[in-house]
Amino acid sequence: MELFGQTVICGILLGGMYALIAIGMTLIMGVMKIINLAHGALVMVGMYVTYFCFQEFGIDPYFGMFLSMPVLFFIGCLIQKYMINRLVEVESILPENQVLLTVGIMLVLTEAARLIFKSDYRSVATGYSSSTVFLGGMSISVPMVIGFFIAMVFTFLLHLFLTKTDLGKSIRATSQDRDAATYLGVNASRITMITFGIGSALAATGGSLLLPLFYLWPDIGHLFTAKSFIITILGGMGSTMGAIIGGLILGMAESLGATYISMGYKDMVGLVIFLLVLLFLPGGFRSLAKR
Amino acid sequence: MKKSGWQLVTVLVLIISVMLLVSGCGGGDKSKDDVKVGVILPLTGSEAMFGAMEKNSFEMAYDELKAAGKTTVGGKDIKLLFEDDQGKQDVAKSATEKLVNQDKAAMLSGGYSSACTNVIAGSAQTMNIPFLIVTGSADDITKKGWQWVFRGTAAPASKYTGALWGMLDNVVKPKNVALIYENTDFGSSSAKGFRSVCQQKGINIVFDQAYEAGAIDFKPMLANMRNANPDMIFAVSYVMDASMIVKQMKELDFNTKLLVGGGAGYTMPEFKDNAGSASEYVASTTLWVPSVTWPGASDYFNKYKQKYGKEPDYHGAQAYATMYIIADALKRATEFNNTGIQKSLKATDIMTIMGPIKFEDWEGYSNQNKPVTYVVQWQKGKLEVIWPEKVKSVNYVYPVPDWKERT
Repeated sequence: MELFGQTVICGILLGGMYALIAIGMTLIMGVMKIINLAHGALVMVGMYVTYFCFQEFGIDPYFGMFLSMPVLFFIGCLIQKYMINRLVEVESILPENQVLLTVGIMLVLTEAARLIFKSDYRSVATGYSSSTVFLGGMSISVPMVIGFFIAMVFTFLLHLFLTKTDLGKSIRATSQDRDAATYLGVNASRITMITFGIGSALAATGGSLLLPLFYLWPDIGHLFTAKSFIITILGGMGSTMGAIIGGLILGMAESLGATYISMGYKDMVGLVIFLLVLLFLPGGFRSLAKR
Repeated sequence: MKKSGWQLVTVLVLIISVMLLVSGCGGGDKSKDDVKVGVILPLTGSEAMFGAMEKNSFEMAYDELKAAGKTTVGGKDIKLLFEDDQGKQDVAKSATEKLVNQDKAAMLSGGYSSACTNVIAGSAQTMNIPFLIVTGSADDITKKGWQWVFRGTAAPASKYTGALWGMLDNVVKPKNVALIYENTDFGSSSAKGFRSVCQQKGINIVFDQAYEAGAIDFKPMLANMRNANPDMIFAVSYVMDASMIVKQMKELDFNTKLLVGGGAGYTMPEFKDNAGSASEYVASTTLWVPSVTWPGASDYFNKYKQKYGKEPDYHGAQAYATMYIIADALKRATEFNNTGIQKSLKATDIMTIMGPIKFEDWEGYSNQNKPVTYVVQWQKGKLEVIWPEKVKSVNYVYPVPDWKERT
């Protein structure tokens, strides 16, 4: 029973961390329909910004988050404005090429990080990195709980932003029909720029919160891109709550799989669920709620 | 398992860029008077940290040899050509073929991960080019009777534990052990070796599991292992997984009398930095420590630290020693073609910072040096030799104190 409890706790908390990383992608891919393979690389850049702040100025990662977010917002805006928009606006270029473009961006970001920080593994050791609370015999990691709640708060804020504010409504309008939105006076390229910026800033949040728990090297992005993809599709495209749902499902599946099957098959359990969802529930778990 | 569409795209883009690079450099001016040694290491990708350490060590040894006039053999200069395998097997294969077919390398060296080393060794064997392995240590690489493949500074993975068994027989005397390993060539080779010796000695393996490297959360596996209640844990992991595992053991308050790492991650300075206090009393088998008595070992360590501002570990020492083996073999070679170098490598008998190196055929291995291994333990943030007893630098701590008793 204790083992089961520990597994469930680990799964929920891990799911929260996954959700944090994936929120940005649900916005960029789910809402804007831009397939962004550079997402993990953006998380990585956010982590390096936070790491740099910690190493050079002694800024705690939880505060460093508020520095990495604007930096990544800025980078995201630049990427969208000077790269992706240029492709999207030329009709003779297939939209699929935008995927290749993001792969290129990912490679450039990864290699730039390698150039500056070398390939060394880095980590920040904070006083609370390993702090735990015991509930019965089950240990609960404090930084993971914080990350979990921040993921919830951010998802909620994002949902409010998209449904209640003018800017949010313009974002949704642009994603539904770019031309129609333009006719109605929405500056579509500005909106996509801001959206990509917000998505990148959210990626940075995930990175900053994960940094005290995990470690960092330039190629870490691949891991995050893969996980966020699965989560976005599990949760349902275009759904802001999708990140939390998808993250929790993936986290639980991996934890239960690791305990009751084998940790070597942890990724397989997650991917089998991913395939089943694609085959039988193409709208993600969100479509269950709609029925 | 993780191979999916976007990764395929990534690989494709990489291949195309590599192809472009290769064709771009093809027309370069190449002097015919060099003896070219191709060195394949992971200079980018997730293993790049080790690749960089090995490249630095190669270059450091090369500069020393050059200063001593030993890089000129028979009127020709030895030249090192580095190629990046990105830690990927397909890239390793094309790098091997490029070095042999385009650059006309006379021999090959390098090989970090076992998976890539296996690919390079296979290609070297079919192309009849001598290949001297630096690190890749899966057992099967030198068990296939490949006469072009030599392994000097690296032990077969299942022999990493040589010194450990002495300590287990005399000190630990475990009844139940747990075994965890990453599901790579190196991990499963080490696990296989460990399992078979356990069977001979009648030690029960109460928990035996592979894991996927790079996980964020090891707690489900660790909680499961705690239920099996082992006397000792043997773990084969790379550096960051290693530190995540011990950190999370601490978080779970999972106490065991001794955790022994099987080479690789548990001896690295990064392990201590990342795991912090959780690294204390973790033991590991290893092939080299800076304090060994082989001539030049501590000099290498100090010089490297001074030059590159970082502490090298045994991987760097392997590369450094390998460069000396190469220079020695080429010096003795009468002809600089593949058979000439092969013959001269086979006759190697040299003292290096990794100990004496000879390429022998034993227990089904071919061209394999007989390794010397140690058991080390982190004590007060320093890696100390605790076994074999005659070379130990401090006394072992066993059983290790519980997490809660530590201050």
